[in-house]
Amino acid sequence: MRRGQLVVDAVCVVIALVVAFPLYWMVLAALKPAGELRSASPVTLAPTVDSFRRVLDVENFGLYFVNSLVVAVAVVVLSLLVSFLSAVALTRFRFRGRTVLVVMLLVAQMVPVEALTIPLFFLMRSFGEVVPAVGLNRLGSLVVVHLAFSLPFAIWLLRGFVAAVPEELEEAAALDGASRFRFTWQVLFPLVAPGLVAASVVSFIHAWNDFLFAKTFLISGTENRTLPLGLLVFFKPEEQDWGAIMAGSTLMTVPVLVFFLIVQRHLVSGMAGAVKG
Amino acid sequence: MAFVQRRDGRAALLYLVPAGIILLALLAYPIYQLVVISLYDYGQPQASGAAPLVFLGLDNYATLLGDPQFWDVLATTIVFAAVCVAGTMLVGTALAVLASRARRVPRMLLFLAALGAWATPTIAGSYVWLFLFDQDFGLVNEVFAGLGLGGMRGHSWTFDRYSAFGLVAGEIIWCSFPFVLVTMYAGITAIPREVIEAAALDGASARRTATSVILPILRPILMIATIQSIIWDFKVFTQIYVMTNGGGVAGQNLVLNVYAYQKAFAGEEYGLGAAIGVVMTVLLLLVTALYVRAQRGVR
Amino acid sequence: MRIRRTLVVAALGVLAIACAPPQASNDSPQRTASAGATVGATTGELRVWLFQEPTNGPKEAVVDEATAEFEKAHPGVTVNVEYLPVDTRASRFNGAFNDPASAPDVAEFGNTDLAGYTASNGFADLTDDIKAWPDSADLVPSVLRTATVDGRTYGIPWFTGTRALYYRTDVFDELGLKPPKTLAELTETARKIRTAKPDLYGIATGGKSQYSFLPYIWANGGDVAEQDGDTWKSTVDSKQARAGLRQYAELIHDDICPPSACAQLTGSQSVSAFAGGKAAMTIGGDFNRAAIDAGAVKGRYAVVPLPGVRSGSIAPAFAGGNLLGVFRSSDRYTLSLEFVKLLGGKEYQEKMFTAMGNMPTFTDVQNRVAKDDEFLAPFIRTAQAGTRFVPSTPAWTKIDAGGVLPTAVQQVATGQLDVDAATSAAAAQMNEAFGS
Repeated sequence: MRRGQLVVDAVCVVIALVVAFPLYWMVLAALKPAGELRSASPVTLAPTVDSFRRVLDVENFGLYFVNSLVVAVAVVVLSLLVSFLSAVALTRFRFRGRTVLVVMLLVAQMVPVEALTIPLFFLMRSFGEVVPAVGLNRLGSLVVVHLAFSLPFAIWLLRGFVAAVPEELEEAAALDGASRFRFTWQVLFPLVAPGLVAASVVSFIHAWNDFLFAKTFLISGTENRTLPLGLLVFFKPEEQDWGAIMAGSTLMTVPVLVFFLIVQRHLVSGMAGAVKG
Repeated sequence: MAFVQRRDGRAALLYLVPAGIILLALLAYPIYQLVVISLYDYGQPQASGAAPLVFLGLDNYATLLGDPQFWDVLATTIVFAAVCVAGTMLVGTALAVLASRARRVPRMLLFLAALGAWATPTIAGSYVWLFLFDQDFGLVNEVFAGLGLGGMRGHSWTFDRYSAFGLVAGEIIWCSFPFVLVTMYAGITAIPREVIEAAALDGASARRTATSVILPILRPILMIATIQSIIWDFKVFTQIYVMTNGGGVAGQNLVLNVYAYQKAFAGEEYGLGAAIGVVMTVLLLLVTALYVRAQRGVR
Repeated sequence: MRIRRTLVVAALGVLAIACAPPQASNDSPQRTASAGATVGATTGELRVWLFQEPTNGPKEAVVDEATAEFEKAHPGVTVNVEYLPVDTRASRFNGAFNDPASAPDVAEFGNTDLAGYTASNGFADLTDDIKAWPDSADLVPSVLRTATVDGRTYGIPWFTGTRALYYRTDVFDELGLKPPKTLAELTETARKIRTAKPDLYGIATGGKSQYSFLPYIWANGGDVAEQDGDTWKSTVDSKQARAGLRQYAELIHDDICPPSACAQLTGSQSVSAFAGGKAAMTIGGDFNRAAIDAGAVKGRYAVVPLPGVRSGSIAPAFAGGNLLGVFRSSDRYTLSLEFVKLLGGKEYQEKMFTAMGNMPTFTDVQNRVAKDDEFLAPFIRTAQAGTRFVPSTPAWTKIDAGGVLPTAVQQVATGQLDVDAATSAAAAQMNEAFGS
């Protein structure tokens, strides 16, 4: 038994190394001086932040970073609230058309997003005439659109988790005199927190990575640009500036990685609850 | 029970209103408009108001379905997506089983590595893999050459059609398996130990336990993970576009979404692009429905 | 029940209203200035969009100078310049056409994009005003043609770029070779070099180097398409065009530039390969000088015009370049035109040459800078020998986006199709796009 356990552990570690290797190589290449980029050496003895400097030199890099962060965080927060309410409604309440709605949520995820840019462009333009903050050229338009795109998956994911909370709990709370509202927010919400975490991870990635809607909605003015737009100028493999490409990639990955690390403990239990449904 | 049913309709409505408004306005309405656009000759001049709208009926669809390249790309996409989904599910599930048997520290390492792969933005991941397999700068070629396979120096991994697809599939499996890993792991660890022990007590071998006891319990989870993978892998764009330089030599590595981009959006033919979008959605629905039915049938 | 009915009615109402694809309104009439009259406001903010270059510093310095001069001459006016990454220009410009409130007054744009923009009524017709501008007489005619669609001019060419043949002087000296005088000689020379030095490409060029193989078609007497009244028809399947394509595809061959490495190369990638010392020749632009000088081959190369089919002739080059134009939706037509004439005029074109190496579009300015800088001579000879352009029709954007011609070259180079089949397929696709 012991030897079997050792083998399993060893294989696990080896696979972990293999999976993590591309990331390691990415950061390494970002730190290597230009002359060493071609070499296969697994370490560099002369690490330099030259590539990072070139990428960070992009005008307003800090501003773009903050913009992306603002959009992503706003999307996550709003998406959690809205999808939680919807998941509660879909699982705890009985009403007609429930299955239809659930199926529609699945269908909503199937539409290729690129095809929707033009209708959404004009929609945002119309919105902007009524509520400037969500109009074109504003970050609000990105928040609202990404919220809409992340909702179907988030609701789908949360359904199972909400359904897993036993009804007896709700009945007991009612007997104790708690209103439905109190029950939902003071008892149910904390119980499904891990599930919320799982959903928020996907929402964050969607909003953070987005390049398509940023370039469609943000037409004039540089103050609202997001990070992918700002880094785009480096992603040209023909220039062979791999150092800058890897540095840019690292900068784009790090925040997501940090976010994942913060929530990772709840991620597994979140998925567990979600798939029970 | 009475408590739960009372005033369900109105309360449900209230809770659903936020999501309802957002989804209706920003998803349902644009999708409806997409269908409308697909019935028109709608390009950038029309969008800018410089040219009049011309109602085409189903002409865009006729053009699309009459293009032999479309069918080629469709077949390619289905096969490619199938390979990616199968690969992702196999790797994810196998590693989930492994993780459930491993001790805490090795398991944590595996999960952390998987999280890293999952967290990498698709564009960053594509460029890293491209760099690793680059003709001149790539580590892989260097290592092969170092091992004595001198002919590998300067070898292009993206020139041959299947080699290019293989490379992209590798990247997709790498960044997609974590989702399956986490999901399946959660499912496996949720199985009560008593169930497995009972099976062992009844004399079932490890393999028998796996297929007749564990698998049926995991089936719903497998189904969810597979459907999600199918949806994502069928629509893949960034990886193919970046790693095969827009579809490969003479378009041999095109998949549907990249084809749509080149044929329609890059040329600003939004009507045709909308038609392709509608066709893609319908196809995905069909594929998913077939898959679900097949699963139901097995049970 | 009532809720349901109201919802249904509301839904039907929405459907009824929204039964057509959305459109902006861009049918604002062309604002023209009759001699002397001012159109639009003469104060306020003038918004300008320029392209962001990889090393943007020198460009910004020149533009700042022009801005300062302009603001001094026009009190009450502030010039606001925004630099766009070239890759996102399509969605930025389309967004500006679809939402005039986001649009600038003045913009720099590529001459190959003009036809598409014209179809969207994006830019103002400057024909009469340019004709009335005395300096315009010195614009190189074939370059000015790239700013013209259907006889109307929509911008001032700000700079132009042509391509010529870069070659390695050290390799040529070592093998006792001379720069080729005809295209056939070029192929032969490339083969000789690779035979003698198997680790070098005879010439670095690729399936996607569109502006490198178009000269082959033109030099052989063919063209990509021709205009017949209002419609365009593809001529890629003509005998001459086929000869040109065949001749070019011979270069992407194991004995010169192996397909496995070269079938996918774009123009910039070919230049990078040459700059890195991997090739003995390449077809590059005057604008590639900085990249090549930054590479390993600095000081070991020279440039000659790309030869044509007959000895001593020059293959017609593609006239690349950017234009400066005025947005049709702008409220400040005359002011914008003044700015365009300043930034795109002789003085600032010469300054941009000094700062960025951009080739001017005025004949006299070209000759002036050529005298001072030997490097430019072959490019200017090429430019003045007569340049060609792609079909000035919106359908070309579609054809370009679909990569029709590069696909044909790649199919021939990899042996998938022979020249006749590949060009027939390409012609069919092009004609479908032209609508003929």
